[in-house]
Amino acid sequence: MIFSVLTFKQFKCAALALPMVFVLFISNATAAEKKVLKIAFRNAETGFDPQRIEDRYSVGIAENFFETLITYDWLARPAKLVPLAAEKVPEGEEGGTRFTFRIKPGILFADDAAFKGKKRELVARDMEYAMKRFRDPINRSPYAWLFIDRIVGFDEFVEAAKKANKYDYEKPVPGIQVLDKYTISFKLKQADYNFLYFFAMPMVVPVAREVIEAYPNDTMAHPVGTGPYVLKEWTRRSRIVLERNTNYRGHQLNTQYANPDDQWDNDAIKALAGKILPLIDRVEISPIEEEQPRFLAFMNFEHDYIEETPLGFVSQLLPLGKLSPAMVKRNVRVFRSEEPEITWDGFNMEDKIVGGYLPENVAFRRALILAHDRSQEVDIIRRGQAGPTKSPIPPGVVGYDPNFNATEQEYDLARAKALLDMYGFIDRDGDGWREMPDGRQIILQFKYRANEQESRQVAELWVKCMAALGIRMTTVSVQFADLLRDRKVGKFQMSNFAWIADYPDAQNFLQLLYGPNTDESNDSRFKFPEYDRLYSLALKLPDGPERNKIYREMNRLIVAYAPWRFGVNRTFSHFINPWVLGYKKHPILYTAFKYLDIDIAAKNAALQP
Amino acid sequence: MGAYVLRRLWQMIPTLAGVMLLIFVLFNWVGGDPSLVLAGKITNKEQIENIKKQLGVDQPAYVQLGYFAFEVATGFTCTWKSFTDKSESSTAAAKGGEKNDAKPPANSGCQAVRSWATNEEVPKILTSRIVPTLTIMIPVLLLETLLGIILAIGVAYVRGTLTDRMIMMVCTVAMSVSFLVYIIVAQYLFGFQLGWFPVQGWSDSFWKNITYYAPLPIMLAVFVSLAPTLRLYRSFFLDEINQDYVRTARAKGVAEKTVMMKHVLRNALIPILTNIGIALPGLFVGSFLLETFFSIPGLGREILVAVNRSDFPVIKAATVYLAMVTMMINLLVDVLYKAVDPRVTFK
Repeated sequence: MIFSVLTFKQFKCAALALPMVFVLFISNATAAEKKVLKIAFRNAETGFDPQRIEDRYSVGIAENFFETLITYDWLARPAKLVPLAAEKVPEGEEGGTRFTFRIKPGILFADDAAFKGKKRELVARDMEYAMKRFRDPINRSPYAWLFIDRIVGFDEFVEAAKKANKYDYEKPVPGIQVLDKYTISFKLKQADYNFLYFFAMPMVVPVAREVIEAYPNDTMAHPVGTGPYVLKEWTRRSRIVLERNTNYRGHQLNTQYANPDDQWDNDAIKALAGKILPLIDRVEISPIEEEQPRFLAFMNFEHDYIEETPLGFVSQLLPLGKLSPAMVKRNVRVFRSEEPEITWDGFNMEDKIVGGYLPENVAFRRALILAHDRSQEVDIIRRGQAGPTKSPIPPGVVGYDPNFNATEQEYDLARAKALLDMYGFIDRDGDGWREMPDGRQIILQFKYRANEQESRQVAELWVKCMAALGIRMTTVSVQFADLLRDRKVGKFQMSNFAWIADYPDAQNFLQLLYGPNTDESNDSRFKFPEYDRLYSLALKLPDGPERNKIYREMNRLIVAYAPWRFGVNRTFSHFINPWVLGYKKHPILYTAFKYLDIDIAAKNAALQP
Repeated sequence: MGAYVLRRLWQMIPTLAGVMLLIFVLFNWVGGDPSLVLAGKITNKEQIENIKKQLGVDQPAYVQLGYFAFEVATGFTCTWKSFTDKSESSTAAAKGGEKNDAKPPANSGCQAVRSWATNEEVPKILTSRIVPTLTIMIPVLLLETLLGIILAIGVAYVRGTLTDRMIMMVCTVAMSVSFLVYIIVAQYLFGFQLGWFPVQGWSDSFWKNITYYAPLPIMLAVFVSLAPTLRLYRSFFLDEINQDYVRTARAKGVAEKTVMMKHVLRNALIPILTNIGIALPGLFVGSFLLETFFSIPGLGREILVAVNRSDFPVIKAATVYLAMVTMMINLLVDVLYKAVDPRVTFK
């Protein structure tokens, strides 16, 4: 029949062409198939206005909309600064009191109605505007502290705004100087080499004033930046969809610090080298607070990877530290990361029983620490997914000393008892409990956050350990807001704390015991002149052996005077499906979408029934 | 009836005032200081004072109570005049860049009540979250009531038999297990192991939600609520079955089916209606367990998130909203009594 309308030659051509058309069709279909990454977050986001957010989930998503002036090398461990929107990482000038950034010309913001159809280039004024937003009271910026008492004339600018009843963005701040279209310079009150790190924080990013002013009451929902992605859909606290920013210039994996012995580094380089990033077209994020559905969604192939796997499920996937046979069969990989964070149990140094700096006060605290069996916290409460903290500076942070080991904090009940006996903390009335040297009764109180299982368990462990030492202890659970207040005003005896690095330098942790930070971040109210002097001295020095020596000295003072019982460094397990390429968990940056790729063929093959 | 309804509506005002006072006292004296929660990791006095000023929690209690009453009445809040009023935002708003859908009162300085944590308008939060909640809860209520009535009337009919005893025993056992256990087991079994349903999720499409995401949570909620409902409704039917008028009907030779379906059922409907009335407010709040475990963006989950964040405006609004819904439903149920039972009169 077909020969009636086609000659044989025509038919032969058609027959030859058909498979080619088919191949073309298939390849087009493959090319058209978008690379979609689906993941879950442990908590709901709040919004994406970089100067107004604090929670790591919102910040983690905002990382993809905005670009910092400088950032961290993706593969370097410990983290190393590299330029992003700026042309280079500036050197500290004028003895570490001036930092000047030059922004790369030609960087474009994502399109937005606020730009009225025009392309909008990133300029130095955008960074100046963002900096001023941190101190604008209307923003209630949780990171305003970064720029308090730091930049020349900024505090005065804010004070003047208060008096004038007007926060004037047009008025200059002496210490924030826009030198030309692309250059901005910051003059500090005193040397601070860690100031650079602030410009790698995902909230210290330039924003376009037009956008902020176009949506004054809903800046959280209009994240318009120069980053690789834009916010496509947002059902608050339920679904966040990111898509490529068509104005994004693209970039390449340009790492200088990859470890050739690290398989993850090698895999990432193999997957990404030479390609224009980002490679993922769309990212779909579901905040899932409950552990089981988040875990099952990964197991059910609904999500491409699961980060910070709930402790209860880690043992299923990683029995005895090795991937389970089921995971091996699925070719799932596990990335274990020790986060740059610490936990500790803090004493109130102004308390009449646990506080003080006299030898007997110090001996009492050190005895309590020696009697506290931290291995039970590691093994039982943290289910083995943590290691004991050996110094107030966690691993992976600049200034961390792997050789520093606070042996004075190692469990030794006999030594603890001997220490108390030596300083007269003995049972004087025969009731089985020790009294103060002057005969006063000792009833310690551990305050913790209500409705938080881990905190309760930590408190209970203290009670148990103290009973073994002959010290009476009670626990009090209070609501989060009350706990924050009590800690700020010193209305506690002991409590448990945690701190996650804002930037990877020891100073971010050591400031937690800096005397002038009392009422702000120094909740233990530790005031020790020598410590404060060393802290101020370290601030003025760049990273190097001289500063590390000072940090070590400060560590020693902390161990000696014992305002803290060091807690644990948590270890997180992240499970990644085999089709996700380029994965490596960064210690500071929360998400990695622009460094990821998806092997669609491998994914489709794996999902075949 | 009009006068009765009007009178009941008037009575709601003092009741609501009492609820508001209770909420205000609870949050202001027990709820803690929200400014510390909002201030971030490192706080300082200036920041705390600024936040307090913006939230209005630095005002005397009676002023705060007055503003709270105003917020409930209008849905708007009037900011406390701080110097921030004239800064960036207000300037921009004056330039006409405002994208706020809600219209503040004419004297301005006022805006829709907003979440402290997300700056989202609270009325918008409530209205957007109620749809997923009702998508789950309406089918649950309908199925629970329907199945409860059918099964209860059947069990009541065979009262005292082995079947009756067995069903009651199963109900007692089923009621002894926590809802959380049902959710965890069902999600694992039907969602993960058998793959009959998705483990979790929600979409923008009502059809996809009701056919794909909602069935497992709905079935779970119906299954769990059926046991207590069945026991309760059975007792209502048994109360009626033992009445004289039922004996009389049977003595007159009325068919058993007619006795059960016409006489017993109709009279048992009054306590059933009361029971539904009690359950109805829960319909509008949803099940936070279901919504949290199945990632349903409903009101229950929203309230839980707000509690975790000490987001008082959202919690207060949800509480007042629930109180109002409860009062309105109570009124509706009272009016419905009349339709079900002609003996009921309004006084």
